[in-house]
Amino acid sequence: MTTAVTALSTSIQRRIGRQKLRKFILGAIPFVFLLVIWQMNTAFEWLPPVFIPPMGDVFGAIITLQEDCIGLIGAITMHNSCSMTNNIFSSMGRVILAAVIGLPLGIAFGIIAGMNRTASKFLEPIGVFANSISGIAWIPLAIVWFGVGWLTTLFIMLNTIFWLMFFNSMLGVRGIAKVYEQSVLTMGGSRMDVIRHVYLPGAMPSIITGMRMSMGFGWRALIAAEMVGGDSGLGFMIFTASEEFKIEEVFLGVIIISIIFMATDRYFLAPLEKWTIERWGLVWKPT
Amino acid sequence: MQSKSKGPSLAWRFQRLLQIDAMNLVILIIGVYIVWSIISALIDNPARYLPSPIAVALSSVDMLYKGLLPSYFGDTLMRLISGSIIGLAVGIPFGLVLGINRTVADMFHPIMNFFQSVSGIAIFPIVVIWWGNSDKTIFAVILYTAFFPIAFNVLSGVREIPIRYISAARTLGASRFQVIKDVLLPGAMPHIATGSRLSIGFAWRAVIAGEMLAGQQGLGWMIFTGQDADRTAEVVLGMMLIGVTWIILDHYLLRPFEADTIERWGLVQR
Repeated sequence: MTTAVTALSTSIQRRIGRQKLRKFILGAIPFVFLLVIWQMNTAFEWLPPVFIPPMGDVFGAIITLQEDCIGLIGAITMHNSCSMTNNIFSSMGRVILAAVIGLPLGIAFGIIAGMNRTASKFLEPIGVFANSISGIAWIPLAIVWFGVGWLTTLFIMLNTIFWLMFFNSMLGVRGIAKVYEQSVLTMGGSRMDVIRHVYLPGAMPSIITGMRMSMGFGWRALIAAEMVGGDSGLGFMIFTASEEFKIEEVFLGVIIISIIFMATDRYFLAPLEKWTIERWGLVWKPT
Repeated sequence: MQSKSKGPSLAWRFQRLLQIDAMNLVILIIGVYIVWSIISALIDNPARYLPSPIAVALSSVDMLYKGLLPSYFGDTLMRLISGSIIGLAVGIPFGLVLGINRTVADMFHPIMNFFQSVSGIAIFPIVVIWWGNSDKTIFAVILYTAFFPIAFNVLSGVREIPIRYISAARTLGASRFQVIKDVLLPGAMPHIATGSRLSIGFAWRAVIAGEMLAGQQGLGWMIFTGQDADRTAEVVLGMMLIGVTWIILDHYLLRPFEADTIERWGLVQR
């Protein structure tokens, strides 16, 4: 028995790596501790379940929210009764839509501003100002313009990611040594060639970092926008649930929000950033 | 150690602030003013959708006269200052303590990562059930948002200090406390500065959002009720105030502070 356990543990160690395993186990300890405390709270009722719901209720909320939902097909077709998956999809849809529209626009404007000194002189202060009116402060005006709903939340998210993206790609283009641009021009390259072969690759690390940052800020702004001026989405879900004192649904929503954010950041944006910096980042800089 | 700062003096910085592209800024402001006036003159019902700059200015005069603007502004600023001071005061020692021991740091890194990605605003619906629409709720949200960036930064700052500095200090007979005071704290200083700026930035957003949601007087509340009561001029005014305040805070207080700190403490040779 003991030999089997040791063999198993060594094989696991070999496959994952000792250090990684150690980190994983160590990192799991506080989570387990927290879950135990949570469970103990339910058992001993230190805080009433109105404030801290039992763990079972939080998972039960999935079933309550997905009641009458006809399997996977119902969830995908966004049937009316699948409220949890509907809210997840509508938040994600907005994120994707805002990313598809906002990121290229921001990059394009950023490159233009980075290329042209006079343009940047005027666009930069606007960018600074727009960035410092954080996305959230736009919500009331957006409600006045677009009413409560899809457009408002989309606008807030677009606004947040556009300006961050704009700023980052502008700084990225500015950081490129003039020599590269001049050498391409000397060898007979056109303006388009300079953009394609110098500005875009040169600013790539900065652009990707900006992308990661803007998605982070955008996600936060989106949740806030959905709370105040939305009619669907995860932010709307937790806000309405808290108004009805359904704390288990709020907990569920918060957990889903952070898991979605962590997953996209950890497994998509961070590796992308690392890869880009490795691939494009080591641009030699003349001194 | 000499305490003489090599960075530019405050007076010099102030002079530069006055010189920087002042002409450009003036042209830009005039341009924005003209475009804004034209748009608001062309659309129907500008009072609702986009009040003209003059209307916004008039509303600010009105609110100043009633004494509402200074009081809202003061409330918001007070919340930001007290919230971020408490957040930093809690977060810096916390990060330091976690960072001292490598095992402890490895242990707490993932859970802090998890809680950091629960944005402070998402925590609001929970806190509001606990304490209702009160100042307490806003403070909880501000503290939550301000705490994690600084604690996280201090933690990684302490961990990045090469172990040999600590070993060297220990070999020379430094006590645990001396190691913290002379090695860990100065070594983590650049990270502390960066983290503080980040924390205060997040706290600022949290203040605005918290006031909007919890309905406590302040700038966020002002723009939110302005929208409810169809006083769009106040909304625009509030937004501009929020933007200008943050620019002043960030560019002329926090960024120079961060740059000075990095200049003073950041040149740790490897």
